Amino acid sequence: MKKNTSKLLDVIFENLIWLLVAAGLIIFSSLSSSFRSPNNLASLLYRSAALGLLVLGQSFTMITGNFDLSSESGLGLTAMVAALALASADNGGLGWEVSPFVAIVLMIGVGLLIGLINGLLITRLKMNNLIVTIAMQMILRGLVYIISPGSTASFFPKAFDWLGGGTLFKIPLERGFFSFPVATLFVILIFVVSHIITRYTQFGRNMYAVGSNLTAAKDAGIDTDKIVRIVYLIDGLCMALAGLLAAGRLDSATPRTGAGLTFPVQAAAVIGGISMAGGRGNMIGALGGLMLWSILDNGLSIMKVSPFWIETSRGLILLFAVWLDAVKVKKVHQRSLIDILLQSTIGLKDKTIVKN
Amino acid sequence: MNKGQKRDWVKIILDNFIWLILTVLFTYFAVNVPNFTSKTNLLNILLHASVLGVLTIGQAIVLMTGNFDLSAEGMVSLSTILAMWLMIEPGSVVGTAQGSGLMLNPYLVIFIILILGTLSGYIIGVLITRLNMNGFIVTLAAQLVLRGVAMIVSNGQIMTGSPKAFNWLGGAKIYGIPVSVIVTLLLFVGVNYMLNQSKFGRELRAVGANPDAAQASGFNPKRTITLAYTIGGFLAAFAGWMLLGRLETAVSSLGSGMTLETVAASVIGGVSLKGGIGSVGGAFAGVLLLSLIDNALNLMSVDSFWVESVRGFIILLALLIEAQKFRYKPKVVHEKEPAVASDCK
Amino acid sequence: MNTTEKVMERTPILSVEGVSKAFPGVQALTSVDFCVMDGEIHGLVGKNGAGKSTLMAILMGILEPNEGTIIIGDQQFHAMSPKEAIEKGIAYVPQHVAMMDSLTVAENILAGELPKTKSGFVNWKKVNSEAKERLDRLGLEMDVTKKVEGLGVAEQTMLAIAKALFGDAKLIILDEPTASLSRTDINRLFAFVKSLKDKGGSFIYISHHLEEVFEICDRVTVLRDGHIVGTADVAEIDVPKLIVMMVGEDVEDYTRESTCEDETVMVLNGLERRGYYENINLELHKGEIIGLTGLQGCGVEQLGKGLFGLEPRGIGEIILADKKFTAVRPIESFNQGLAYLPQDRYRYGLVGLRSVRENVTYPILNKLVRLMNLINGKEEKIIVNKYIGELDIKTPSQEQPARLLSGGNQQKVVFAKLASTQPSVLVLHEPTQGVDVRAKMDIFRIIDAMAAQGVAIIIISTEIRELIGVCDRILVMNDGRLTSEFKKGEKDMTPEKILAAIEGGKINE
Repeated sequence: MKKNTSKLLDVIFENLIWLLVAAGLIIFSSLSSSFRSPNNLASLLYRSAALGLLVLGQSFTMITGNFDLSSESGLGLTAMVAALALASADNGGLGWEVSPFVAIVLMIGVGLLIGLINGLLITRLKMNNLIVTIAMQMILRGLVYIISPGSTASFFPKAFDWLGGGTLFKIPLERGFFSFPVATLFVILIFVVSHIITRYTQFGRNMYAVGSNLTAAKDAGIDTDKIVRIVYLIDGLCMALAGLLAAGRLDSATPRTGAGLTFPVQAAAVIGGISMAGGRGNMIGALGGLMLWSILDNGLSIMKVSPFWIETSRGLILLFAVWLDAVKVKKVHQRSLIDILLQSTIGLKDKTIVKN
Repeated sequence: MNKGQKRDWVKIILDNFIWLILTVLFTYFAVNVPNFTSKTNLLNILLHASVLGVLTIGQAIVLMTGNFDLSAEGMVSLSTILAMWLMIEPGSVVGTAQGSGLMLNPYLVIFIILILGTLSGYIIGVLITRLNMNGFIVTLAAQLVLRGVAMIVSNGQIMTGSPKAFNWLGGAKIYGIPVSVIVTLLLFVGVNYMLNQSKFGRELRAVGANPDAAQASGFNPKRTITLAYTIGGFLAAFAGWMLLGRLETAVSSLGSGMTLETVAASVIGGVSLKGGIGSVGGAFAGVLLLSLIDNALNLMSVDSFWVESVRGFIILLALLIEAQKFRYKPKVVHEKEPAVASDCK
Repeated sequence: MNTTEKVMERTPILSVEGVSKAFPGVQALTSVDFCVMDGEIHGLVGKNGAGKSTLMAILMGILEPNEGTIIIGDQQFHAMSPKEAIEKGIAYVPQHVAMMDSLTVAENILAGELPKTKSGFVNWKKVNSEAKERLDRLGLEMDVTKKVEGLGVAEQTMLAIAKALFGDAKLIILDEPTASLSRTDINRLFAFVKSLKDKGGSFIYISHHLEEVFEICDRVTVLRDGHIVGTADVAEIDVPKLIVMMVGEDVEDYTRESTCEDETVMVLNGLERRGYYENINLELHKGEIIGLTGLQGCGVEQLGKGLFGLEPRGIGEIILADKKFTAVRPIESFNQGLAYLPQDRYRYGLVGLRSVRENVTYPILNKLVRLMNLINGKEEKIIVNKYIGELDIKTPSQEQPARLLSGGNQQKVVFAKLASTQPSVLVLHEPTQGVDVRAKMDIFRIIDAMAAQGVAIIIISTEIRELIGVCDRILVMNDGRLTSEFKKGEKDMTPEKILAAIEGGKINE
């Protein structure tokens, strides 16, 4: 009986994020008619698609017990690189006007390079991952300013914008059209793919092993440094894709593109159950965290809540999520402590009985 | 014996590396950058170093206990906005932010914001030590909450026109030297002396180096860490007061990006991220170095976009030096053991 | 008898010949010969510091011996790397096992080599079934889908053993596996280990619990001061004989004149902490040295920490110097006249990064501070210099970081720290652990001198011989209760009797 209750509690605890997402959807839908319109619901993830990719990259690094605070600038840099290569000289580009394909390859190359540098600094030189990535954030943002001659580069080829800004179906409604954004689909798809990678591949499981207990993972013959390096490479790839989505949706890139995203990225991942202690949480949960974040963002702004209140409430939500994470990890420790305590008392009794 | 002496030299050089770099850089800039050594410019450097310096003192104290404080810049923003809100008239000019109309006495306002800073630091310390929350994220979230509240209060607008009495700390001059520069220098000298000579300074470093042993030696690590954050909060509000006095204008984005600079300055100045090692005096050298480079790049009319990148590189460099320090020191222990062992044979 | 013959027939799976290892100031092992047969459980016993850990570290490839060879199968090594040791099938299961806590049992077993489907994805059904099957083969029943953090300590230990076997381990070293286990769990663990032995597994079993050695081992080897005293078949030996082998008879020990006075310093009245100790009554006199001893986990350790305020003390009354002792924090204990020397010097004793000077004066800063909490540096230096001289601490200067001193000198720094508080009661936990012979004698002299000054001293230690040399009284704790008392000068105060009391409970009654 007791076991069942605690198991039920565990299940609720594990899926808390989806309960919150459902609650958010229901509450905002009942409060606002524009929130519950199909177009708005379908575009919830469209607007936060770039954020989503960064959350994904962050989740990868956090599962191995690391952090990445440089991704917002990585997004900015890749977006700017592509913009410069794509846009005509009149529109703030370099006038190369390369094909979208080349631009995307270029972005991915830059993203991977950032990930490679992060990974090498952290694994080879044993530098503190938080500070390394903070420093990278500053360096990369500086680079964005340096390479961008004007303030904005815009008007890219349609094909380049398709992923970030395109729509798939157009279904006529009573008023206007219902159109499904490509980005929404892409984000869901890539989260599912990542879930499969982390759940169903050897590499994915090695990630969890590294984050759960570095020593034990090493003992099991896992090349832990290599796993961390690959994870940062994937993280770099996510930055590039995020840059693609952001530039595509806005059809432009400015030196500030992506600035200030670090915090939401961190928050969405933690709210989605990715533990800061490493080795816990999954990608579907992280997607839930992203959705909750976008629902709150969208819902509150539709209801005309001051953006400053939104900002403050975000901070409080994150504090709550961090607290929950601390409780979760602590709960585990406490449980084993209680176990030990019980055992030692029982042990005392057992031995006494034996003697008598 | 000879070897031991040699090692000591390496250690002394490593420990005071920062002052060496500072001297070399200063000489280089003095020779190569026109107007660098003019009195106005030197005062400019110190002026730039003042607010950053006050914040760095707080950061260094927290770092010495082996923790981070990312919340200080949020406190700078909130304390300046709140002070303005309490002091200025409601809607004095169209398009600017609204004051509360309370028009409180500036001295009272100073008192209020200092209390606020202290209190917020205390709460952060309690969250971290009593609820075992991740310090990095707690202070990051606190930074956001504080700045968020500042945005709400200011409605995102610029507030100008702080009273003269309030501006004294940040704006006034004595014999041509800004008060803020004098105060900051005094603070550095005073705090450095205090932390090197007082019981609290011992406690900070003991807790940072080894909390368990510190506890068994009669200290209370949780209390020490909470106190460090409390001091950090107070100094952040103090820095806010100073900054507002200089600018006479508050906006909620004030102070953004300064957290990283304070961490960088501390690390460059020899404060270890692992806790237990370093001094506020060293951190001051770090502050000077950052200000020096900023100023010189500015005078050389280097593209301001480069400045941020350069700062990032400096942080990386400082980290690299720190990592080397830790790599270097254990070697001393290793070298010693086999030597004795072979004696025994 | 049959077992003996079987053992004789078997081939050695591992033998060690003439292995010696020296550390600065200490000869940890002197030409050790040791051999484990295929399919036996080989006990390894000895006091703390007898060389067990050093020998195991050499077998695991962590330390390189100065001399000697290790033979595994038909291969000879001078020294191995940890990786080689694992490849040769030597596995080590420590008391606290490192596991991937947030992952399931199955994943922990198959980490790094999860079964996959044809398309290369992890086949979870197969992961669970294969893990289950592997555990079944060893006769271990466990829910493989459970997370490791949800397992008990015994289960984690068994899982670690199983994991080692799946990694093709031929010889598993069990280091104090029962220290934090209840009797029921011990039985389960032993049944499991024995069943593995029957399937051909070999074990080295390290323990302080001699009873357990007789319960589970086939042969037992005794180490003393880095020498092998002997190897015996457990069927041909009993606990007293083993004790004699462990303790030895011919060692010159530190002896002292008693400085015990009649005046009572401290009284413990009915001290009890649930699960650790109960009904502790004790009277401590001025200048008296009391030894407290018992098996690991019997509660002496918690009693020491509890007195000092590092852990909860539970209920009961303590009178110290005619006043009620109310301290619940270390600093209060120092102020009320009780000081404590922790066992783990590196973790609790010293702030290694900081200087000798700072370490010595941490607890007395309150007395050294003047205006504005500033420390009187001159006075501090004088005090520290005094203790460096008195305790003969060998350090280049007061400013030397404590971690750069040798073990014995580090311990002296901790002593200086405690002495500086001028305590009336001193609680010492394993004061001679990890220091060389000469420093040991120095430490005894320090203890002696402090007792002569009227300090009452409690030594918590498992070093029986040392206790006999130094203590006026020795109390034995068993399962959280003080069960026997030995007084200096009485005939009963022999290592054999005391060890028997530690092992067997109330011998005196």
